[in-house]
Amino acid sequence: MTIAETISEFIREKFEIGDDPDFTNDVHLFNEGFVDSFGAVEIIHFVEETYAISITQKDITLFPMNTVNEIAAVVESKQ
Amino acid sequence: MIKLYTSSAELVDFAAEKYGDRTAFSDTYGSISFKELQKSARTLASSLMRAVTTGKTLPVMVYMPKSINSIVTFMGSMYAGSPYVPMDYAVPMARFKATAQNLCPAAVITDRDGKAKLTDAGVDVPILIYDELVSGNIDDDKINAVLNTATDLDPAYIMYTSGSTGTPKGVTISHRAVLDYTKWLTDTFDINSESIIGMQSAFHFDNSVFDMFAALYTGCKTVIIPEVLFMYPEKLFDFLSEENISIIFWVPTVMISVANSGILSEKHLKTLKLILFAGEVMPIKQLNQWIDAYPDCTFVNMYGPTEATDIVLYYIVDRSYSAGETLPIGIPCANMKALILDEDGKECKKGEQGELYIGGSGIASGYWNSPEITKKAFVQNPLNKMYCDRLYRTGDLVYEASDGNIMFVGRADSQIKLRGNRIELGDIEAATAAIDGIDNCCAMFSQETEEIYLFLETQAEIVQRKFNMELKKTLPSYMIPQKIVSMAKFPHTPSGKIDRQALKKQYITERTN
Repeated sequence: MTIAETISEFIREKFEIGDDPDFTNDVHLFNEGFVDSFGAVEIIHFVEETYAISITQKDITLFPMNTVNEIAAVVESKQ
Repeated sequence: MIKLYTSSAELVDFAAEKYGDRTAFSDTYGSISFKELQKSARTLASSLMRAVTTGKTLPVMVYMPKSINSIVTFMGSMYAGSPYVPMDYAVPMARFKATAQNLCPAAVITDRDGKAKLTDAGVDVPILIYDELVSGNIDDDKINAVLNTATDLDPAYIMYTSGSTGTPKGVTISHRAVLDYTKWLTDTFDINSESIIGMQSAFHFDNSVFDMFAALYTGCKTVIIPEVLFMYPEKLFDFLSEENISIIFWVPTVMISVANSGILSEKHLKTLKLILFAGEVMPIKQLNQWIDAYPDCTFVNMYGPTEATDIVLYYIVDRSYSAGETLPIGIPCANMKALILDEDGKECKKGEQGELYIGGSGIASGYWNSPEITKKAFVQNPLNKMYCDRLYRTGDLVYEASDGNIMFVGRADSQIKLRGNRIELGDIEAATAAIDGIDNCCAMFSQETEEIYLFLETQAEIVQRKFNMELKKTLPSYMIPQKIVSMAKFPHTPSGKIDRQALKKQYITERTN
């Protein structure tokens, strides 16, 4: 599985999205209501643990992490 | 000694002269000194006055992401004699247009992305690009002429709040109000050029007035905290630590979220000294977690509606509180007064509950272009028949405790506070009623769960996430209901009104219990 697929699967299960066709790798997770602000922390914890990386406050500030693809891009840049 | 200023923009000149090259503000992309701020703001004012007619009755809307550039624009607008109007960069275009219609502004200043959005939406206001305004010649003579003819009762800014009929209200605040408030707060809490403020507030909320003007008044630095970090308390604390933040003025929602994350016991901010909070009730449980983590810090509970330049009352937390106790909202700050009146306009005795009326130099001039609602909310002091003495009716129910502190009890109407945001439930109902397929609706607030419930009478099948997306076209995201309940027919009272009590009992009280 690719990084994006792994993250997508985690979010789909964790936030009970089911097979909603609007949920894609490019959809804005927060603006479109798939994940609330508390869920953001859980996603970061998931990728930090899964990929043994550390997402710093600078990463969060400088790089948008609002979609599955954006989160995957940051993870890839850290590996 | 500081001279008596008449325009808040003069504080920029004062700060440039006194604090010069020291850093005034920083954001994600860089920083600006007091001198640079003066130069950029005066340049922007000069370009603005060349582009459009400005003046105290011609406000300037500022539609930009939270950044140093926004501050330059606010100050530049005031140099040009126009009050600034901070707009949420995420505001739905329908709401932007309603605001512009009420405002009749000279112009809106924005970035290129903002211009594209405004143009697509057909916003009928001259649109000026920030980058194009901050280059060119400075016309100091023209700016100084504006400052010399300004009076301290001219409007400094206009902030829009939720209105019960669905139309936002433009609270108009004078330069005198800004100057007096800034002086009181910075003097009272000894804010000085060594202080570093960590700014949480958005510019379209009035806590930002402190964050901005305290820097100009004292030479301290204000760090604009990237908004995204508030979703990640651990990373937020890393940022505060790296920036050596010593003062925060946050809404309780953010403090609660930080306390609940457990970070207070894991990371310590060595430089933190002063913790101010306002905007909603601070729960004792989370306050105590903060006090346990920062026993040497000063904690101040502050109270004030937008109609009073941010703050009217304050209470320095001077003892420990246990669960079930209520934190006072305190006593009036300098130049302000508070009266507790009963329904007949008579002063309540100590311990008696009444409505809070506030007065003083910080009170708004009124609601922009809205004389009728201004007349209802701003009234003559009924205890003073001798001269003009305007009071603002807050709609808040309070009483005076035996120690002289004022205690907040609740609201006299359907206005609510949620995560620091002031919301009229009628505003949500008006937006909902405009959506196709909705026969009737009513919005309620659950104090217990801090959630807005929206009840819909409709034959349509409602998917909450999709319905919320519809609402977001007209409502800011903080007004989006947490729960939506739809039904084919509402229960009614014998007089034919929606039976709100029945809805509350069946869908809120019973489910909460």
